[in-house]
Amino acid sequence: MKVLYNVLTEFVDIKAAPADLASRLSLAGVAIDSVEDSAAGPVLDAEVTANRPDCLGHYGIAREVAAVYRMQLKPVQPKLKEVADNAADATRVEIESPDVCRRFTARILRGVKVQPSPDWLRERLEAMGQKSINNVVDVTNYVMFELGQPLHAYDFDKLNERRIAVRRARPGEKLCTLDGAERTLTRDMCVIADATRAIGIGGVMGGTDTEISFSSHNILLEAAWFDPIYVRRTAKALGLRTEASYRFERGADPEMAELASRRAAELIQQVAGGELLSGVVDVYPSREPEKKIQLARKEILRVMGADIPDRGVEEILSALGFHPTRVDANRGSDGSLAAVWECKQVSWRRDVTRGIDLIEEVARHYGYDKFPPRLPPAKKPAHRLPHAEAQDRLVERAIALGYHEIVEIPIADTQRDALFREEGIQPAVIGNPLAEDASIMRSSGIVSMVRAIEWNLNHGNRDLRLFEFGKRYELRDGAPVESAVLTLGATGLAREKTIYETAREFGFAELKGALDQIGELAGGLEWQAGGPPWLSAARSAHFSAKNKGEQLGVAGQLSRRLAEQLKLRQEVYLAELKLEPLYTCIEATRAALRFVPWPRYPAVERDFSLVLADGVTFAQVEQTIRALAIAEIQSIEAADLFRGGQIPAGKYSLMIRVKFQSSQGTLTDSQLAEFSSRTVTALEQKLDATLRAS
Amino acid sequence: MTTSDPTAQTLEQLGVKTLEAVGEKFAELRQRFDDQSSLHFSNRENWQVFLVKWTGRKSGVLSQITNNWLKMASPELKPVVGQELNKLKAHVESIIAERQRAIEAASEQSAAARDKIDLSLPGIERSFGTRHLIRQTFEELQQIFIAIGFSVVQGPEIETPYYNFEALNIPEHHPARDNMDTFYIEGVRNSHLLRTHTSPMQIRTMEKEKPPVRIVVPGKVYRRDNPDATHGYMFHQIEGLAVDTDITFCDFKGTVEYFAREFLGPKTKTRLRPSYFPFTEPSAEVDATCHVCGGKGCRVCKFSGWIELFGAGMVNPAVYGFVKYDPERLSGFAFGMGVDRLAMMKYGVTEVPLLFQNDLRFLRQFP
Repeated sequence: MKVLYNVLTEFVDIKAAPADLASRLSLAGVAIDSVEDSAAGPVLDAEVTANRPDCLGHYGIAREVAAVYRMQLKPVQPKLKEVADNAADATRVEIESPDVCRRFTARILRGVKVQPSPDWLRERLEAMGQKSINNVVDVTNYVMFELGQPLHAYDFDKLNERRIAVRRARPGEKLCTLDGAERTLTRDMCVIADATRAIGIGGVMGGTDTEISFSSHNILLEAAWFDPIYVRRTAKALGLRTEASYRFERGADPEMAELASRRAAELIQQVAGGELLSGVVDVYPSREPEKKIQLARKEILRVMGADIPDRGVEEILSALGFHPTRVDANRGSDGSLAAVWECKQVSWRRDVTRGIDLIEEVARHYGYDKFPPRLPPAKKPAHRLPHAEAQDRLVERAIALGYHEIVEIPIADTQRDALFREEGIQPAVIGNPLAEDASIMRSSGIVSMVRAIEWNLNHGNRDLRLFEFGKRYELRDGAPVESAVLTLGATGLAREKTIYETAREFGFAELKGALDQIGELAGGLEWQAGGPPWLSAARSAHFSAKNKGEQLGVAGQLSRRLAEQLKLRQEVYLAELKLEPLYTCIEATRAALRFVPWPRYPAVERDFSLVLADGVTFAQVEQTIRALAIAEIQSIEAADLFRGGQIPAGKYSLMIRVKFQSSQGTLTDSQLAEFSSRTVTALEQKLDATLRAS
Repeated sequence: MTTSDPTAQTLEQLGVKTLEAVGEKFAELRQRFDDQSSLHFSNRENWQVFLVKWTGRKSGVLSQITNNWLKMASPELKPVVGQELNKLKAHVESIIAERQRAIEAASEQSAAARDKIDLSLPGIERSFGTRHLIRQTFEELQQIFIAIGFSVVQGPEIETPYYNFEALNIPEHHPARDNMDTFYIEGVRNSHLLRTHTSPMQIRTMEKEKPPVRIVVPGKVYRRDNPDATHGYMFHQIEGLAVDTDITFCDFKGTVEYFAREFLGPKTKTRLRPSYFPFTEPSAEVDATCHVCGGKGCRVCKFSGWIELFGAGMVNPAVYGFVKYDPERLSGFAFGMGVDRLAMMKYGVTEVPLLFQNDLRFLRQFP
């Protein structure tokens, strides 16, 4: 809210300069964002929190100023010149919806001269951010900014039967509001009506039919109180937020209504002349009884951890209007630990109802800076997240393998998400999305990974290796389920050409190698051919943890169809791993790690160059050799592979390297010869392999 | 070896009979050696042949002379032949050694030029990945709080209105909801939303655990705001909560000051400005002296010397009612930090979208 320094000075004798005032107010809880000059003097821009509707008027801010400088707040005492005729004889007010409208006051002015406002009023309103309309409307707005109470002036002559009813809108009832829009009202809304029709929406906005124009002479001045929840609902339903609704929905002061009406009447007489009928029609069916709140020093100590002297407590609470009085047995003893103050609950602070609320009031004006800092001793050991260690290991691997971590917004395009969704998954759809391309909680990490790759390729970053720790979201039996996933994505060069090395394109083998190196942490991966439909049929796989059988994830090349659809012009490799089972495997593997001594006797390597039919796999070769159950075999590796040249079509050459080692002694030539011949024989017989002369 | 080679013959066969003649023969040889050594010196291969020719053990000139001249010499000439041979040997060896040194020096020189590393060329680098700036910041924040006894917990992003609002003392139609426009999930049995802050985990934790409670909650949160340079509709928060029988505002201040010094540097000062959050009371905005200018005022802090860190406060006793904690016995504090904002501030990232585009050029800047 825009706060005019010169208006504040009418309520409190400020000596401080605007800048000093601004910083003191900020440190007491009324944040002042800036101080600027205007035709009406310095303007402070106050950011008022939702609990402080009292500070949506200058008077409330002035009360804060009074508390800051421990000064007196001046009372508002309008001086009225009333004629003999009674307002109560001129009009009638009925509240038919007392649940929504707890108070309605009406004053009548006759023969006012509606004209442009005088300069001082226009300048002040403009500095407050309000356009000047005419002198009467301007006064209602001015008093709202001054005292925080929204007001409305009706052209009294246009009120059918010159009376007011506050009632629920009739279904389908229509009203043209001051902003020129025709509104269709509902039963939930509360209208101000005359004998026949709605003339305003309670707490929100008046109607055009009865608005003040330059031809208006007689006016009815409304100052009322509307229920915050009702106003909030109504304003929201109509999409109509006004200065009035903004105040009512935060909670206006019902006691202020009549005073503000008096103040507005005073000002209207001042700027527009006319006669004020005597008295006010004030319908206030259920005035709240005055309540008390107690504040105990031991609570201050318990919550704040340090004391505030009696004088501080009392000066601050008095300045804020709470009327503190000591009610404990030790009254009169200054600084008593048993001190208890009884305070009045005030109508303008609906948020202050408990002792803790008063503690905050006292503490903020006493100064948060006066409480000594202290680090509380810990009583329990602190823990990281349950799988933090396993995640650390995974992150280390991924980074060492050259993958960059990304962080994605897990809200995806609905259609795009469906491309990568696992069968049978019910996605979590956002009911009120901001945009179509951000309308669903992603059902895989892949959809985001593809987005990141797409972004980079479109921005000239061709060689990518990325990973993300994130979640995928779904509904199961109508309940949301979030599961953690690790997603990998890669494209372009796996190795750039340098003066030392040649370039190498990223291929499936790169992805498999990376996953196997990651999988090593989990005790190794077991690969099976075939993957989801968004992967290329020839280059896709799924994998589980070795010896566990639980599926851990999928990997492969993005299918050509999708790559074309997404306009990705290079091969893209993707993998997604389910983190919960992976973490479990990593933790189990880690827990089972034990030192294994290496054999004391030397290892011997033997290479076998095999010619195999296409389709015979390395795994078959390995299994065939393993089936011989030669205990001395330490490892079997694929050392070289090629097609063409001297190798006939339909066949390929695979060189395998077998490492023999015994823990019993050095292997003899005859032992090795026997191993070799058994190996070759088995491969010849089982796989129809032939041995190439090497 | 041709017969014309004098060294293949004995002195007698050469008709050398006098001491003078012996001297002449040796002088001839010496002359020949000198001529050839100069001739072959410049060519490496010829030099090797030359060396073998003169010093080879079997048929080198010196061996030949020893065998054919010295051993076969008449007793009267033998001492002189021996002396002459020794003089020739000494001469040959010294010349060869000298030439050899020169050759080695030259080859070392050329080898040094060839083998010398060019330090300005790059080494062989294995490509390394990076952690995302947000994740690095999360790690840092968590470590700061773990060190003073805060355990890390996580919670769901798809939440119920109860945990996100009601139990945090934000009833329906509360104006505080204005700042928390919410995404709702379609078709979930009991209406669900995307949490607008990490605070629901305050409630979930207190429901499960007895005090003392001391937690931090990292995670993603969502607000239905149109995105711009400083706001996204998703951002990251880290929530903190400490509740016990003896936690006071002073502990809250101490914790906040400790955090600011750890995160922004040991000289950082903090101040608390009273503020409002429905689930804390008293509430405060925590400011720190600007990490760029140290509080003197600069562009980063808009010349105020202070930067806004996060919102916090003492837990509102109303919240304890929702988790069946005794508000008369317990007290505590809570805070909620915008991690993206803290990271951007600390590392000078100017626009929110940079954080989530995941452009490689951005990722690489924070190894």
